Amino acid sequence: MAEKKILTKDFGAPGLAHLAGYEQTGGYQAYQKALKELQPDALVEMVKKSGLRGRGGAGFGTGQKWSFLPKGVYPRYLVINADESEPGCFKDRYLLEASPHQVVEGLLIAAFAIGCNLAFIYIRGEYLPQHEALEWALAEARQAGYIGKNVLGSGFDVDVILHRGAGAYICGEETALLTSLEGYRGEPRLKPPFPAIKGLYGKPTVVNNVETVATLPHIVSNGPDWFATIGTETGKGTRLWCMSGHVNRPGNYEMEMGAPIRELIYDLGGGVWKNRKLKAFQPGGASMMVLLPQHLDVGLDFDAIQKAGSLAGAGAMVVMDETTCMVDMCRRYVEFFHHESCGKCTPCREGTFWMTNVLTRIEEGEGKAGDADLLLEMGNNIDGRSFCPLGDASTWFPRSCIKYFRDEFEQHVTEHACPFRKERVMVA
Amino acid sequence: MSALRDVLMGPIYIGKGLMTTLKHVVRPATIQYPEQQKPVPPRHRGRHILHRYADGLEKCVGCELCAVACPVGCIVVEAAENTPEHRVSPGERYAKRYEINLLRCIYCGMCEEACPYDAITMGPRYDLADDHPDKFIAVKEDLLEPLSASLRDTARPSAAPSAQKEPRKW
Amino acid sequence: MAVATDQVTLQVDGVSVTVPKGTLILDAAKKLGIDIPIFCSHPKMEPVAVCRMCLIEVEKMPKLQPACAIPVAEGMVVRTLTDKVKQYQQGVLEFLLINHPLDCPICDKGGECPLQDQTFQYGPGASRYDFQKAHFDKAVPLSDKIVLDRERCILCWRCTRFTEEISGERELALIKRGVHTIIGTFNDEPAQSVYQGNWTEICPVGALTSRQYRFISRPWDLDRTPSVCPGCAMGCNIQIDSRHNKIGRFQSRENLEVDDGWLCDQGRYSFPYFQRDQEFGSPSIRRDGQLAAVSYPEAVAEAAARLQRAGSSAAGWASPGATNEELFLFQRLFRETLKSPHLDHRQQGIHETDPEDIGLPIADIERCDHVVVLGGQEVIDAAPVLHLRLHKSQRHGVAVHRVDEVKAGLAAVPAEATVVGVLATAARRADAITLQNQLVSKVKGSVRRLIVVRGPNGRGAKDLGILPHLGPGYAVLNGRAGRPRAEWPKAGIRALYIYDASPLQEFGATEAELDWLRSLDTVIVQRFKPSVLDEYAHVVLPGRAFPEKDGTMTSMEGRVQRIATGIDAAHVWDDWRILQAVANAMGAGWPYRTSESIFADLAKAVPAYAAAAPAQGRVLWGER
Repeated sequence: MAEKKILTKDFGAPGLAHLAGYEQTGGYQAYQKALKELQPDALVEMVKKSGLRGRGGAGFGTGQKWSFLPKGVYPRYLVINADESEPGCFKDRYLLEASPHQVVEGLLIAAFAIGCNLAFIYIRGEYLPQHEALEWALAEARQAGYIGKNVLGSGFDVDVILHRGAGAYICGEETALLTSLEGYRGEPRLKPPFPAIKGLYGKPTVVNNVETVATLPHIVSNGPDWFATIGTETGKGTRLWCMSGHVNRPGNYEMEMGAPIRELIYDLGGGVWKNRKLKAFQPGGASMMVLLPQHLDVGLDFDAIQKAGSLAGAGAMVVMDETTCMVDMCRRYVEFFHHESCGKCTPCREGTFWMTNVLTRIEEGEGKAGDADLLLEMGNNIDGRSFCPLGDASTWFPRSCIKYFRDEFEQHVTEHACPFRKERVMVA
Repeated sequence: MSALRDVLMGPIYIGKGLMTTLKHVVRPATIQYPEQQKPVPPRHRGRHILHRYADGLEKCVGCELCAVACPVGCIVVEAAENTPEHRVSPGERYAKRYEINLLRCIYCGMCEEACPYDAITMGPRYDLADDHPDKFIAVKEDLLEPLSASLRDTARPSAAPSAQKEPRKW
Repeated sequence: MAVATDQVTLQVDGVSVTVPKGTLILDAAKKLGIDIPIFCSHPKMEPVAVCRMCLIEVEKMPKLQPACAIPVAEGMVVRTLTDKVKQYQQGVLEFLLINHPLDCPICDKGGECPLQDQTFQYGPGASRYDFQKAHFDKAVPLSDKIVLDRERCILCWRCTRFTEEISGERELALIKRGVHTIIGTFNDEPAQSVYQGNWTEICPVGALTSRQYRFISRPWDLDRTPSVCPGCAMGCNIQIDSRHNKIGRFQSRENLEVDDGWLCDQGRYSFPYFQRDQEFGSPSIRRDGQLAAVSYPEAVAEAAARLQRAGSSAAGWASPGATNEELFLFQRLFRETLKSPHLDHRQQGIHETDPEDIGLPIADIERCDHVVVLGGQEVIDAAPVLHLRLHKSQRHGVAVHRVDEVKAGLAAVPAEATVVGVLATAARRADAITLQNQLVSKVKGSVRRLIVVRGPNGRGAKDLGILPHLGPGYAVLNGRAGRPRAEWPKAGIRALYIYDASPLQEFGATEAELDWLRSLDTVIVQRFKPSVLDEYAHVVLPGRAFPEKDGTMTSMEGRVQRIATGIDAAHVWDDWRILQAVANAMGAGWPYRTSESIFADLAKAVPAYAAAAPAQGRVLWGER
């Protein structure tokens, strides 16, 4: 099966990153249609009806999130989460590089729908070229009158502020993002109150992912019913899957929701590289539980993947071949979480530090008998106990690895060495 | 029959017992203290010793755990801060005042058990008899183990003088 | 369908409890006597739920929930003693202890440490962590008052939240992230706050400790005496912790009506002034130019004889650090026994006073809608803990206006104001009354003032008539008024009795006054430790420091509070006993044997004080 291109359908068209090129492919038609023909409330209903679920990782219904905003409370803010930091995830970057205007149009439609006059884009500090592309696109949109006062005579005022992050994965968590945007340390906030009620500067706020808003122009142009026919019962439309790791053709692929994972890895990705065998794969980025070749026929869909024991997350497919040491994978991932932990809560701050130490000693051949169980017990005291999902997520991959590859952990301990050391190539 | 046996064997048993006694008449078990001394067992709980590290610094940090563990409250500890000019123990804290009332002490060894630094142990000395209760307040200088010969010249003495005017026998 | 009320009923560990809506699960459980362990939660600060110690089971919620951050809901079922909770409590303590240094023996918090206590109560018996601990700077001098040990810090955020929420100074912040997070000031500059001592009390471990108390004692060695801070007129309640009959430290003793659980550093760290470090000399009489040691009876007799010679040309100055009982006797000594009207307790200024100066109780500041602080920082400097009450009020919506001029204060308060307060020092009293009168004409609601007087018993000194023109209870002395201190050098005074009760509120003689002292026939100095005035004294009567006596003091809001003897100074005569002996040597015939009996007479002489019997509570002036 091939890709189903909606978001990426015009990618490759000349000058797509600039306004003229984008408009030639029909860009900003949806925005103008929304401003002229649709009321904000109707737009919210439309998005609800389309079944669009957030593409940032949580998969929450976008229209539903918009409808949580309390009536009559102004101002309200829209914040686009472009802090793509999940290891293995590079789709937002792709969207921003190739077609920043698609994202801008999407966010303007969202701003109009929720009655927001000031929108923010929080972009990861490391994405400098993408930031420049966005800056340019915003300037062009302003010049064209799509951003500003009384846009196209519709009475809608909107402005967009582009803000760079400063190198923290935790700022991808929506409340930490808002706190960072306000100028404070990027640490998550207590929920409730939820951002929809009390978010940026204490006002009702919607936080949406880049890919989510990039989908909006297409829903407005073609209607919610069209969108709802694509995908599965519970996952509508398409989404970009970032494939990396031991595949022949890594990259971003736009797939219809529900397409089997096998197609992504083998048909589009060209299969495992170097003629090796597939050992395992992660469907959602560093946070998510590992899956095995037996799960290849699971559909690329939130609910299907959840039923299989993992989570779709941010759509990052990491492929691991038979030379992959699962212990080393765990170690590297947990080290990432330890480094990125904001330090606010005890279980994540101390637990990721300790888990990193234990995994390192196992990998270096100094593991002790019972280390695998120690990791599981530590995981139990972190998962569901941390302040935010970063702590929870740091335990999922190790727990799933111990479940499926416990013998590998034990082999490290009994052999006092990593059995893969000679052959393995670092994945992440 | 057994009653007759008891009667006949009786003197023999008594004789056996008496032999033990008589043996000791000829060769007594008495130890002529103090010329001869019975060696104390390794875990004997006698007069306390405050230990030092090899470099002469005191182990005691003045944490007062011995004082609070003591069932009779015979230990008084006051701590102070080490300074670069006056360093008594490694680390931040030392015992400025350390006193044990050796009469109150019941020689149970709880102080030794409580000490987290192995600073205080109970040593072999039990010959503490004296003629006035006031002479039984041992201060830190009385309890500190002596400096090794190599350090004696260079190490500085602790500040507080001994409570006793006469030199200690123990 | 239940009628909507503002009460919520829930179950904790099988027991029902009803609490007001908005109550946190933690507090609802506390009401049942169930103590859920916490670190970061603090009753005076917003919940942050960062330590994760208080996680408990709430039926219908899949994850464990922080009791400190979730408000109760009708019908909620909470369980704090399940295996899941207990296992988790062991886990989180194990986590906290992996990097926490094994410092207990050298750490001042040992013995009063919530981390120690909770580890014993809820923690695992041993840790499975066998790696190197993360290391940080230890014994960092955060300021000259506080020592910071960054290894011990468990990042509960109480200190940073204190400087944000309670004092508003925002001096402490988190630096770096993850396991490397530390607490510090901007650029490692020394902390300037005047509330640093509070950090050591709220810190649940030995990360923030007082330099002054460093290594002094273990908590189980301390004798604890309830008392009142001698620093200023606020009347903050303190606990005097002493060891071997020496003061170790002052700790707070929460009084929600006065200090709200806080102390300022000025007061908290003032105890060295009251330390009886060595013998402070015996009573003395000057003979041949030198002070010769004598017994109390001899010194008392000499003092009495000299005072009697001076009669009504004797003047008496008593420190506003003396107790009500002592001031009452001092006043009687002069007005009744010597028939002298020359009494004062003030320094240089001549300020009026009346009971409306206590119109606004401290706790009522929170209930105003507008408060004018006339003089701004100068009022705070006179009673630093007042700032914490003002900041708390501001956070709850009270408009606090710090102004220098009356007209600015008038302009700041709108006519719709319903409850207005005016704060000022005694020096600005006249302006405060002007402002109050102008506000009364302008606003709809009530306008009350609170004058910040000097000294822990400055108010008592005024109430009891240690003033030349007012007798006890503000009785106006027409024609029988004496001269104020500022006029004594020119008023033909022949004898001066200085009762310097506190080194913090001393007589403080000017150069001119010292010259005048030299010229006097008689100078009697009653003080508890050597002072510069001893040189000028003909008789020196050593008394006691405030921790060495029983008595009462009246705070600036008119609250009579008891101080108790915490340090034994039995060989030194009590100050009231000296005063009685002097008076009785002149035939006064006073019968007092205890300070309580003096208070009983005081309450008869000043009926407003009767309402404060048994010596706790606010005086009620009522109709004058």
